[in-house]
Amino acid sequence: MGVVTRAVRNIARRKIRALLVIIALGFCMAIMIAIPSGVMANQASTEALTQNLSNTITQTEASINQTLTQIDCSLSSGMEGFGFAPPDSGSSRFTPGQSGNSSFTPWQFGGGTRPGEFGGGAFGIGGTTPMNESLYDDISSIDGVAAVAPFLQVSEGHNQTITAPNGMSFTRLVPEYIIEGLPLTSDFIGNYPILPSNITAGRNLQAGDSGVVLLSENNTAYFGAGVGDTVTILDQEFTVIGIHGSTGVSDVTTLYMNLSDAQSLTNNTGYITGLYVFANDSSTVNNIASAISSLHPELTVSTAQQRLDQLQSLQSGYSTALDNAEASVSQTQATATQEIIVVVAATSLIVLFVMLYTVRERTKEIGTLKAIGFSNLTVMSQFMLEGVLISLIAALVGIAIATVAAPTLSSLLLPAVNPFAGRVVVSNGSSAANLATVTVDPQLMLIAFGAAVLLGAMGTLYPAWRAARIRPAEAMRYE
Amino acid sequence: MSETSEVLLKTDKLTKSYTMGKRDVRALSNLSFQVNKGEFVAIMGPSGSGKTTLLNILGCIDKPTSGQILLDGVDVAGLPESELYKIRRNKIGFVFQTFNLLPYLNARENVELPMEGKIKSKTERKQKASELLAMVGLSGREEHRPQRLSAGEQQRVAIARALANDPAIILADEPTGNLDGKNKREIVGLLANLNIKQGTTIVMVTHDSQVASHTERLLLLNDGKITKEKRGLHLNKKSA
Repeated sequence: MGVVTRAVRNIARRKIRALLVIIALGFCMAIMIAIPSGVMANQASTEALTQNLSNTITQTEASINQTLTQIDCSLSSGMEGFGFAPPDSGSSRFTPGQSGNSSFTPWQFGGGTRPGEFGGGAFGIGGTTPMNESLYDDISSIDGVAAVAPFLQVSEGHNQTITAPNGMSFTRLVPEYIIEGLPLTSDFIGNYPILPSNITAGRNLQAGDSGVVLLSENNTAYFGAGVGDTVTILDQEFTVIGIHGSTGVSDVTTLYMNLSDAQSLTNNTGYITGLYVFANDSSTVNNIASAISSLHPELTVSTAQQRLDQLQSLQSGYSTALDNAEASVSQTQATATQEIIVVVAATSLIVLFVMLYTVRERTKEIGTLKAIGFSNLTVMSQFMLEGVLISLIAALVGIAIATVAAPTLSSLLLPAVNPFAGRVVVSNGSSAANLATVTVDPQLMLIAFGAAVLLGAMGTLYPAWRAARIRPAEAMRYE
Repeated sequence: MSETSEVLLKTDKLTKSYTMGKRDVRALSNLSFQVNKGEFVAIMGPSGSGKTTLLNILGCIDKPTSGQILLDGVDVAGLPESELYKIRRNKIGFVFQTFNLLPYLNARENVELPMEGKIKSKTERKQKASELLAMVGLSGREEHRPQRLSAGEQQRVAIARALANDPAIILADEPTGNLDGKNKREIVGLLANLNIKQGTTIVMVTHDSQVASHTERLLLLNDGKITKEKRGLHLNKKSA
């Protein structure tokens, strides 16, 4: 009958009490694990967000710089539905949602990867207004215009309702794919960068192609198809001629086809959603843009410079959002520190009071043990062991709770962070978006185990010392 | 036994005072007596006469205010706790009125408890505990927890536990106080038997003159002083 067996039997003696204490301590331990997990998830999410935005903006800037001679024109209808989703970082998304006052034309940043377009996600979904292509023939006769490429861009997707942590809900169109029809003539394809440049499988679209489609590598899973397969788009069959990859971003879902195919497919024969106007020289771009605006004031015209300016404005907005996110993470860390201090204190106090009560309850037993020859040290170690053992069992329970409930616990205990204010939400990642996944790090589990031993020992130290100091003669009189 | 004159326990001017509020209470007053090896001594006296205080001091679980106690040649009155527990473990066996068995241990484990600091081998401890339980008539009850034993059986376990480390002396505080007539006779018979057959020195505090009549020497305590001493009682020794 060793001291460990006695400790185990003593704990088992009062099962309900032991159970309650273990559950209470277990929750404390779970909180101790969940809070750092939440903070780590917040940090990781913010870092990923920063990195992705930075990549997207850099790439976009580079793309715009490559298309200094390109002027984009579209018929605006109030710009509703403009959205910007940065590349999916796996666990976090940043979606400001609608921003009706944006000066971007919806189709400009339509998820394409061609130079001059934003490649970082679902830009400009919805809000595009088809226009009669024959009305804009006069643009090609403006001085300095080298070519005018009409295109049709149509998003296909479903509506999604998102509820923010503050209870506000809104609906956005989640694009499943974007159809872009381009004039597949040798003149355009050979001289102007209207098609994606990075083909990862099969081949690019060629002059005269019809009935074929160039999928994004992000479309392949949706359509369940690869090169050579037939896919059904809006009830029509197309052969996958090739796959294009993104230019370093991963959320591109645009598929390309012949303009006339796209027009017929979407019942937009004779209609387009925009024009790419190419100047002979970058120095004439501003003059051409002015001329287009004079001829067709209904069009929204943007030059590379304007796109760069707009990009800068966007960049500045997101920089502020990121600053807010970082400030929010700092605030979360401060809150986490306070909560951990409270939990550590609570854990120690629970152990302290329970063990004090146990010592008081077992005063006579302690007296007996000392009377039959137990040393103070043996008595003290007996109680220390019991306290530490309870804490260790609680640590196991805590780890089990944390494994299951860390996301819930951290979202309950850490400030609810609103992504729209540049803050980061902690969640289990299973719901719609804006969420950082909280996972329990094995290292944290080990630390929790160590903390359990330490806190158990700390909480038991005084009661055990008191037990050891009990004078046996007094203990024997205790009832 | 009574014939031997070797002194096992000797007190000299033993005094114990308590402060109760503003009042000094003298529980023991200049108490001097000795117990020889093999003696079976009963201490009687009215409530508050200092019997239990004396027994606690003799058992090294309480300290005298002044005076000397020689136990097996060692002056234990001045020893620190770090030494006293060894004296209690190796030289003293306690038997309490309320048995004081640990409820979460079975009879054998209770008897093994005092051996933990002395006998390293688990098997040896187990074997010795079983032998002691057999000696007190509890063969076959080794695995029973206290709550499954009668009061008399529990006190037998307590006596076996007191004998665990072959103590120089057994100190019994009202060992029959919680027992009915039959069990009382059996327990006192068991103690007397130990004294006669094994020469175990026993000092027993009791209220009961019938129980005291099994001993060979009686000390009457009153107001912390020995007021009377009777020798040569052991009326029931032959029947024990």
